[in-house]
Amino acid sequence: MMIQEILVFITFLIAVGFLVKKFFWKSPKKATGSESACGKSDCGCH
Amino acid sequence: MPKQINVALIGNPNTGKTSVFNHLTGLNQQVGNYPGITVEKKEGICKLPRGLKAHILDLPGTYSLNASSLDENIVIELLLNKNDKDYPDVAVVVSDVENLKRNLLLFTQIKDLGIPTILVINMADRMERKGISLDVELMEKRLKTKIALVSARKKTGIEELKELIINYRQISSEPCVNASTIAPDYFDRLRKAFPNQSLYKLWLVITQDVNFGNLNRKTLEQTSDFQTKEKSELKRLQQKETIVRYQFINGVLKETFKKDITTAKDLRSRLDRVLTHQVWGYFIFFGILLLIFQAIYDWSSYPMDLIDTTFAFLGEWTKEVLPAGVFTNLISEGIIPGLGGIVIFIPQIAFLFLFISLLEESGYMSRVVFLMDRVMRRFGLSGKSVVPLVSGTACAIPAVMATRNIEDWKERLITILVVPFTTCSARLPVYLIIIALVIPNERVLGIFNLQGLTLMLLYLLGFGMSVFSAWVLDKILKIKSKTYFVIEMPDYKLPLFKNVAINVVEKTKSFVFGAGKIILAISIILWVLASYGPGDDFDNAEAIVTEQYGKNLSQEDFEKHVGSVKLENSYIGMMGKGIEPVVRPLGYDWKIGIAIVSSFAAREVFVGTLATIYSVGSDEEKTIKDRMAAETNPVLGGPLFNFASGISLLLFYAFAMQCMSTLAIVKRETNSWKWPILQLFVMSGIAYVAALTAFQLLK
Repeated sequence: MMIQEILVFITFLIAVGFLVKKFFWKSPKKATGSESACGKSDCGCH
Repeated sequence: MPKQINVALIGNPNTGKTSVFNHLTGLNQQVGNYPGITVEKKEGICKLPRGLKAHILDLPGTYSLNASSLDENIVIELLLNKNDKDYPDVAVVVSDVENLKRNLLLFTQIKDLGIPTILVINMADRMERKGISLDVELMEKRLKTKIALVSARKKTGIEELKELIINYRQISSEPCVNASTIAPDYFDRLRKAFPNQSLYKLWLVITQDVNFGNLNRKTLEQTSDFQTKEKSELKRLQQKETIVRYQFINGVLKETFKKDITTAKDLRSRLDRVLTHQVWGYFIFFGILLLIFQAIYDWSSYPMDLIDTTFAFLGEWTKEVLPAGVFTNLISEGIIPGLGGIVIFIPQIAFLFLFISLLEESGYMSRVVFLMDRVMRRFGLSGKSVVPLVSGTACAIPAVMATRNIEDWKERLITILVVPFTTCSARLPVYLIIIALVIPNERVLGIFNLQGLTLMLLYLLGFGMSVFSAWVLDKILKIKSKTYFVIEMPDYKLPLFKNVAINVVEKTKSFVFGAGKIILAISIILWVLASYGPGDDFDNAEAIVTEQYGKNLSQEDFEKHVGSVKLENSYIGMMGKGIEPVVRPLGYDWKIGIAIVSSFAAREVFVGTLATIYSVGSDEEKTIKDRMAAETNPVLGGPLFNFASGISLLLFYAFAMQCMSTLAIVKRETNSWKWPILQLFVMSGIAYVAALTAFQLLK
């Protein structure tokens, strides 16, 4: 039971970290460069 | 007159220059190489009337005298070097009647070198079929040249061309465009420094990045005290020169070139006549749209049901095979339903992109842009805005970036501001699930699926709102503007299966993997927030239910009520209750409120969020649709997702600015926070009012 609690906690932190990185720490150049477009690479719109 | 006239045959690639060369020289031709390089040199002798001969040099195809390749260097080097044995007495520029605008750029440049230049308009046999008419006399006058209408294919006009070559001395060597207008002071200084040289020739030498034999920029600087400009400034002036030339060409063609599509007879023109017709063009376009949306619904229902059932089964199966515990619950109640909420839409999205790819590949999409240009003009936009608006159906991000080719700032700004109204693929999952819940799966007139019709109406609503907003913004924004729109229609062709397949796979993959990561992360966070709570009520849920309902409840009902109490007292429940007063007038409960807030990251998160929230604490094997359909309205009673709340939600998502990435892109493209903030508040305001009105009228 304890292990499962720890796993949930770690997964939660990873998820929060991913979203923060995605929406707040992402390099603007990478997110909006001319290469970025739906269908070619992840444009960050989803 | 010399016994042999040197003729240089010049032209853009694919204008039929070599065919004209072959007709002029027959078998009297030689093929070799230019000295020191491997570029093919074709020359031949043309027998002219009155015992005269012409030495014809077929120069490599070039688009302009701004060299960017070895082939083009050869053309420029010859035209700049009067001492070359092949230096032409007369230049013959071969053009294609269907691409005169592009071809005439090279013509005006050669003419400005002071070389007598004849213009050959090739493929003249197509003029009738294409509905083209030319005022040759006026064109000759405006271009200060002589014109030969030639059909290399039908061998017509060649003798007339030979006559013009013989009489080349009668052709004016006066330039038709005065390039010095782009920088009068600079050209004046140039003229004074090199009084015996051709001004345009000097300009070409200065602006080319390559050296031409003994004549180059350095030589010019060393032999005189003339100071040239910086490279970047020269490039800017070169661009200005091209614009001046195109302005001149546009003016000439406006007076002398007419294309009447109604008299054209070829298949492409016939198709264009129907597909871009003022009335039928729109009927056909809407007919095609209708077919697409019908097919999306009819064809994708089976794979969608299969995916939905599979994910429901997967959730239950995970619970059975993994050791019981909170992490197992997170997987079966959080992650799997959340992901199922996105995977389920793969069939419909793949079908949508399949149809869009087919339309693009066949060449029809350009006709749609042309058709829409007529509509857009009435609303203060031009066809240039149509491209971003159409690409906005995939995603607003590339659409906002596509506005970069709109020169006029006002038009570009308006397009950026209204693009997010068009129905992007992220709205699709929301639309599809809500339509499936509140619109009956029935046929209208025995043919049209009502759900497909509703989806089409939502697309039209998005486009209509974009156009209407553009019209309002055009009236409000006080920015001076002037714009024009030119589109080159591609030929119709059968779509290549490989291109279509790659496009569908790439777009679908991008949708699933791009959205999938965010949905997975949000599902995990939501599950944790829904499974833990801060107060005593969350921990004592069983006691509260026992106290409220006594001990008469069945085990199943008892667990259901405990789950409900826990959810309401969880972190997410408390947050949802906080925003409930705002969303209740729209017909939503706090769970939908949470889904709306979380979908601000990306619209499609809405379905995954609801799937996760409804799955928490549930042991039943149910599909997302079933879970949503089973929800009841806590205030009004009855199904939560009914016609009134469903329409309200559809309208909310049609208008709301629910995409952080789009706002970031708008900020970057407008270089100001003012416009994205305005966009956010105005769009969300419209969405709220529309959703409120719809629910209050329909409930």
